[in-house]
Amino acid sequence: MVQYDSEEISFARRSLIMGGLQLGLGAVVLGRLQYLQISQADTYTTLAEANRVKISPVIAPRGRIIDRNGIAIADNDTSFTLTIVPEQVPDLIGTLGELRELIGWSDEKLQRLSRYVRRQPKFKEIVLAKDLSWEAFAKVNLQLPFLPGVEPKLGEKRVYRHATSVAHLVGYVGPKTRKDIREFGNLPTEAVGQTGIEREFENILRGEAGVRHLEVNANGRTVRELSLEGGASGQDVQLTIDVDLQNFAAKALGRLSGSVVVLDTRNGDVLCMASSPSYDPNKFVSGIDVASWKSLLTHDRKPLMNKALRGQYAPGSTFKMIVALAALEAGVMSPKDKVACTGEFEYGSEKYHCWEREGHGELNLEEALVGSCDVYFYELALKTGIDRIEEMAARFGLGLPTGIGLLGEKNGTVPGREWKRARYDTGWRGGETVITGIGQGFLLATPLQLAAMTASLANKGVSVRPRLVAPVLAEGTSDSVQRDDLKISRRNMDIVDRGLFRAVNTPEGTGYASSLLINNHRMSGKTGTAQVRRISQAEREEGVIPNKDLDWHLRDHALFVGYAPHKNPRYAIAVVIEHGGGGAQVAGPIARDVMVHLLRREKATADKPAADIKAQAADEVRS
Amino acid sequence: MNMTIQSNGHRGLFTLDVHFPLVIAVLTLGLAGVVLLYSVAGGDFSPWAWRHATRLLAGLFLMLFIAALDIRTIFAVSYLIFGIILILLLGVELFGVRSMGATRWLDLALVRVQPSEFIRFALILALARFYQSVHQTEVSRPLNILVPLLLIFVPCLLIFRQPDLGTMIMLAATGLSMMFLAGVRYRYFVIGGLGLLAAVPLVWQNMLAYQKERVLVFLNPERDPLGAGYHIIQSKIGVGSGGFWGKGLVEGTQSRLDFLPEKHTDFIFTIFAEELGFAGCLLLILVFAMVLFFLFQISRQVKSQYARLTVAGMGLSLSYYVAVNLLMVMGFAPVVGVPLPFVSYGGTSLLTFMAGIGVVLNLERNALTEMSRG
Repeated sequence: MVQYDSEEISFARRSLIMGGLQLGLGAVVLGRLQYLQISQADTYTTLAEANRVKISPVIAPRGRIIDRNGIAIADNDTSFTLTIVPEQVPDLIGTLGELRELIGWSDEKLQRLSRYVRRQPKFKEIVLAKDLSWEAFAKVNLQLPFLPGVEPKLGEKRVYRHATSVAHLVGYVGPKTRKDIREFGNLPTEAVGQTGIEREFENILRGEAGVRHLEVNANGRTVRELSLEGGASGQDVQLTIDVDLQNFAAKALGRLSGSVVVLDTRNGDVLCMASSPSYDPNKFVSGIDVASWKSLLTHDRKPLMNKALRGQYAPGSTFKMIVALAALEAGVMSPKDKVACTGEFEYGSEKYHCWEREGHGELNLEEALVGSCDVYFYELALKTGIDRIEEMAARFGLGLPTGIGLLGEKNGTVPGREWKRARYDTGWRGGETVITGIGQGFLLATPLQLAAMTASLANKGVSVRPRLVAPVLAEGTSDSVQRDDLKISRRNMDIVDRGLFRAVNTPEGTGYASSLLINNHRMSGKTGTAQVRRISQAEREEGVIPNKDLDWHLRDHALFVGYAPHKNPRYAIAVVIEHGGGGAQVAGPIARDVMVHLLRREKATADKPAADIKAQAADEVRS
Repeated sequence: MNMTIQSNGHRGLFTLDVHFPLVIAVLTLGLAGVVLLYSVAGGDFSPWAWRHATRLLAGLFLMLFIAALDIRTIFAVSYLIFGIILILLLGVELFGVRSMGATRWLDLALVRVQPSEFIRFALILALARFYQSVHQTEVSRPLNILVPLLLIFVPCLLIFRQPDLGTMIMLAATGLSMMFLAGVRYRYFVIGGLGLLAAVPLVWQNMLAYQKERVLVFLNPERDPLGAGYHIIQSKIGVGSGGFWGKGLVEGTQSRLDFLPEKHTDFIFTIFAEELGFAGCLLLILVFAMVLFFLFQISRQVKSQYARLTVAGMGLSLSYYVAVNLLMVMGFAPVVGVPLPFVSYGGTSLLTFMAGIGVVLNLERNALTEMSRG
């Protein structure tokens, strides 16, 4: 028989075993508690904070872009946005359906949206609609109690006030791209400058996003704001542009393809830099549709291109002043020396023609400028030589960046022996000097370069550096302008100046159609017509085909450069109309109209107190 | 059944001559519950703290009432109580009220009760009553093993069908522990343990999808951080972020911002840990340890097998609940829906545990009472 312990002893032993088990459980509990609350306390504290605190960026208002008078070109408007958090919506399809009634989405749009919403994480806030109309936004707000999970939000939207006239200059902001993230980092801003000033000054305009710490509950609902840190509004960028003048120039260009640049000859301020045709930058703000984008890209008149900076054209006769100065400074020709123009000029085996088929007869340098005689300048160029011409062109800033340092400015081309050797690996030929004499051949210049060259002529050999952004002046300091003496004798400058005055203001001048008289001020200037095709000998014999019978892209470029007032000039202008035909007929009148507008306004300013005018100008521009 | 009770040192009903430290310890736990429920409600006595306090008071009276009863009465009705609760449990099976995917409640006109909580109390009494009548030499006989197993597994089966896995495991563990204490041979537990291991695949197959998921998520909470694993992860964050001193009452962000599920019932310890920290938790666990120690002490003082097993059963049951609940909220046990005794909100649970302590107090008063072996 088995010996049994008494119940009491058996229980005592076994209850100790169970007690041990309980102690073991207790030890596990304490060990776990210690692990979580002591060893891992920091980790879990962090996790709890991450749970509780939602960090949301507060996007700084983007700086405005304003013109020289403080008129806003790029401004911010309130935009109405609608967001939804799917997990807070009991009946997603129903809610979307209701919104559709209020906003008026199409069937297709509704289906696309509901597919999109279902693919997103449930807890994530999804943007349903951007740029709602005020009406739709108000309707949604009214129905909000019946639309759980839907949140209407106020935001900021970029808006361009003088959209088409300043489009090329100001550029536009668009949705952030991968390239933007590489360049600027992944900032919370949604809209990033894509082109123009918006791009160049992105870092200044953007400002600094602040950080808002929000306490949220498990459903993601904000319970309260814990703190708001940092953040700085973007700074305004003030341009030297005069929006009123810019608008006028854009209107004057109309449907033509080309550009108008106006410089203040005293300080280099770019008062106007219009390019045509243009586009509406507002369409880019929330993303442009593919069809519109494609049509802008493929349009043969390149509406997206800022032609004032990036268009390169043979300067044609507007280059003759440079050749003249090169010759005069070298002393290869006296101002009194005459050349006989028969309408033709032979060099080697080639025959070169003057625009005046009948020939100008005998004329000196000043008369050659007035009548824009090609034969005179063929002769002059040969006598001067390409090296001197090249050097003088460079002195006037051709073939070099103007130093505006913006917007992908092109350099143009001033050819020479070295240039030709590097580019084509062949020697310079005399015939090339002949055509360079009338601004054709390899020569290329941008309208901005031509305007800068004209400003140097107007300043009698002192150049100013064009600038597009108004200098920010500290109080008590004055505007310091970089003026470079081109070291050209005053006498020679005066010869050219007289030629340019007579070219516009006398009946025998090619620019006579562009003459003006405002407040005793007149304009000096020079027309140019740049050939873009080679005219064959056969065509010459049969009669040169007039521009109007040619395909648009084969027609001549029309150019005009000028400055006013003719005494103590303040404004230099360059107008280039692509394939516009004759400079005298197309480009000159536009330059005249712009200059008339400018001088008339100046006259009005002189008659009235300044403050009034500014306000009035602003009013006119807004209306 | 004939029984004779020799009443030794029976103390009066209204003198409150009971094991005072035990009463204080239990009330401390209950009051901790009141404070925590006040905090969980964001510093408000409604909806939970006030009612918990009321129930605590009712529980106190019930506890003292049971403590003051004639021990013979309790002994006499041990089987009867078990029978009645078993019938209620069957009633749940037939007429139960469904809530949150399980049928656990029975609407008894006035109150809605959870018979599965009561049955633990009844099973302890019934098993103790059984072993009181079986001599030590005969506890391992087949019939004497079969009867306790039936007493344990019939209610287990009913609870399993509700389904309430947590309560069922607690019940089975309590019953089997009592069989162990009663002296059933060690080898049976070894064999039973091995058999249980072998049965794991079978049990797995019969578990409901949500139960399986809970186990899987327990093993790896990251499996579903926003779904089933959410509770465990958020609860661990709550406990861990409490640190040593806690965030202070009503200051628990995990609680206040609704990151915690069932924070007033099964997960109340998370709030405790988050708001009162390691220091507070140590105190709470110390009070539980005191209660368990008192029960352990009493179980070794009392003279009858009935009293020994009842007190030990109550103690073990309590310790299992506490351990499983704490380990559950700390991510060391599956989320099985086990409340923290005395602290969690829930009337049936609170009253059952207090009634159990009442019986213990009664048996302690009658420590020297021998009972019939019939």
